[in-house]
Amino acid sequence: MLKQIKTLIIVTAFIISFSENVYAYDTGEIIDISYLIENAAELDQQEVTVSGEAVGEAMNRGSHSWININDSTNAIGIWMSSSEAQKIKYFGNYKYKGDVLKISGTFNRACKEHGGEADIHSITLEIEETGHGEDEQISSTKIAVAALSAALAASLMALFLIEIRSNK
Amino acid sequence: MSSIKIKNQNMGIISYYTGFIVLIVTALMTIPILTSLLFREWNPLLDFIISMSISTIAGLALMSYGIKAKKSKANIQWKHGFVVASLSWILLAVLCAIPYRLSGNTLSLLDAVFDVMSGFTTTGVVLTQDLDHLSNGLNMWRHLLTFIGGQGMIVLALSLLVKETGGAYKIYAGEGKDVELVPNVKGTARQIWKISMVYLIIGTSALWINGIIIGLRPVSAFLHALYIFESSWSTGGFAPMTQNIMYYHSASYEIIAMIIFILGSLNFGLHYAIWHGNSREIYRNIETQSFFATSFAASMIALLWLSKIEAYSDAVMGFRRIVFNILSAHTTTGLGSIYARQFALEWGDFGIMILIIVMLIGGSACSTAGGFKGLRVGIVFKGLIMDIKKILSSERNLRLYKFHHIKDYILEDGAIKSSAIIICCYMTTFAVGTMLGTYYGYPLSESAFESASITGNVGLSIGITAASMPAVLKIYYIVTMYLGRLEFISAFALIGYIFGGIKKACLSKLKH
Repeated sequence: MLKQIKTLIIVTAFIISFSENVYAYDTGEIIDISYLIENAAELDQQEVTVSGEAVGEAMNRGSHSWININDSTNAIGIWMSSSEAQKIKYFGNYKYKGDVLKISGTFNRACKEHGGEADIHSITLEIEETGHGEDEQISSTKIAVAALSAALAASLMALFLIEIRSNK
Repeated sequence: MSSIKIKNQNMGIISYYTGFIVLIVTALMTIPILTSLLFREWNPLLDFIISMSISTIAGLALMSYGIKAKKSKANIQWKHGFVVASLSWILLAVLCAIPYRLSGNTLSLLDAVFDVMSGFTTTGVVLTQDLDHLSNGLNMWRHLLTFIGGQGMIVLALSLLVKETGGAYKIYAGEGKDVELVPNVKGTARQIWKISMVYLIIGTSALWINGIIIGLRPVSAFLHALYIFESSWSTGGFAPMTQNIMYYHSASYEIIAMIIFILGSLNFGLHYAIWHGNSREIYRNIETQSFFATSFAASMIALLWLSKIEAYSDAVMGFRRIVFNILSAHTTTGLGSIYARQFALEWGDFGIMILIIVMLIGGSACSTAGGFKGLRVGIVFKGLIMDIKKILSSERNLRLYKFHHIKDYILEDGAIKSSAIIICCYMTTFAVGTMLGTYYGYPLSESAFESASITGNVGLSIGITAASMPAVLKIYYIVTMYLGRLEFISAFALIGYIFGGIKKACLSKLKH
């Protein structure tokens, strides 16, 4: 009996020591997208929670839509119902900071429904932060440098063309 | 003529034509300027005005320096052609990087130059940060650079020549192109652009319609279509979003892109022949035979291997995740339908090995593709068969061996030797890149994958290429992309010219 208990303890210790790379997480804990990709085999078909900015635009495919989110470690496609997708008002691009979404759903390493793509099928969506338009700050120095350099280049070009024509 | 006068004339010719090419490419900045105006992106607009002005001044300075040599109607020699080609690529890599750096989307000028060289050489690896928030102006510029790089900047400049310049062929050949579609170089350059523009209209329209069907808004569908066409046709691999081709989540979008990049990887001479009714050329040509044989074999082996290790479980997955990536690698495109790290984590060493081999082979000569090219593989392979047959047959039996590439050629030792030399150059560059990767602590298979991708101007990454990688590795990759694209000879001519100049200067100093 003692031998069996010893074996059990050793085996348990072994499993714990070699499982440090396998993420022990609660379903509510937010995971980085790059972590999902790095540990795709372990997390395949599991419910995960990710948080990231909606980028680009929603791509409506009938009852469901594709939303792409970027959490600054990587980006991933989220497959969600189109009615849920309509809740997202802002998508990130040059002029906008997109809504920050918290999404819980099933992660697929190679989704059978979507041709082997690594994706998340959303179960719940929460808008953590609403996006907004980005104010473009234009420095007056930049305007001056642009104007001066353009004037200089145009003058030199004119001189060069005059030189060429006079030599013909 | 005194040696100083000859030297000045050489410098003048090189300077004039380099300046001309710089000015032509600089004029293209008008397109991102108009894009920025259209989308009311004021900072990118100013960035491009500053960049265009600096590049114009640089181009004019070079042309002004060389104008005397141009007026003297001095002959363009082979060395001038090669040096003009290699020098203009280096200068343009720096000048075209200015808008990247001014935008703040690259962490250093080195990163900006890296991305421009990646675009010009149609490699497609990226160090630009935050792609999802990039301005339309800068995105237009990135994809335009890869499109121009695919056809060749010198091809563009030569097609805009007012009249045929003596020796233009020598500059044209300096860019690693040798196909003559029509008897003069200007005409050939224009034919190359004509072919590309016809495909641009067809390919962009197909992707645009498909983009609207898959749910993109019309304007954004058009921009995405244009970018993905430019990237695919040039076998570049850039995409406007972080997820590359995965952003679209669409099999049809991937298939259209795949058709475009396969077409882009074929020789312009082949396109020209087919357009002029010689459709038999597609299966008679040694390059297409070589390409279809190697891509079919590689796809089949990869499918067998990845189904054995249960990476993908059905045919659709196999096509979209395996065949797509194999063909993207083989045509040296670099559009990826899986994440970079998935190659390392899920494909296994054998899968990585298949990708390395196809990336090194690459597409066709005188196409937009990189790698050491199917033509050279075909010639060396046929040469090997020829040697074996010669050994086995009687010494009295003299037989000519031929290969077909647009027309029939006699397989000579010279052609086999020059093909083998270029393949050796690629393999050496690949080996050094692999060693350097391992020196910096990356695993061997990953270092080899990245090195093959850079050497073959592919652009698929296994995760090594990042802004955080060592500066020495970035510089090595820039040099490798450049050497691979110009197929070594032009770059070697430039190095030889510089060292020759230094040696002469040192000797004359010693004499005095």
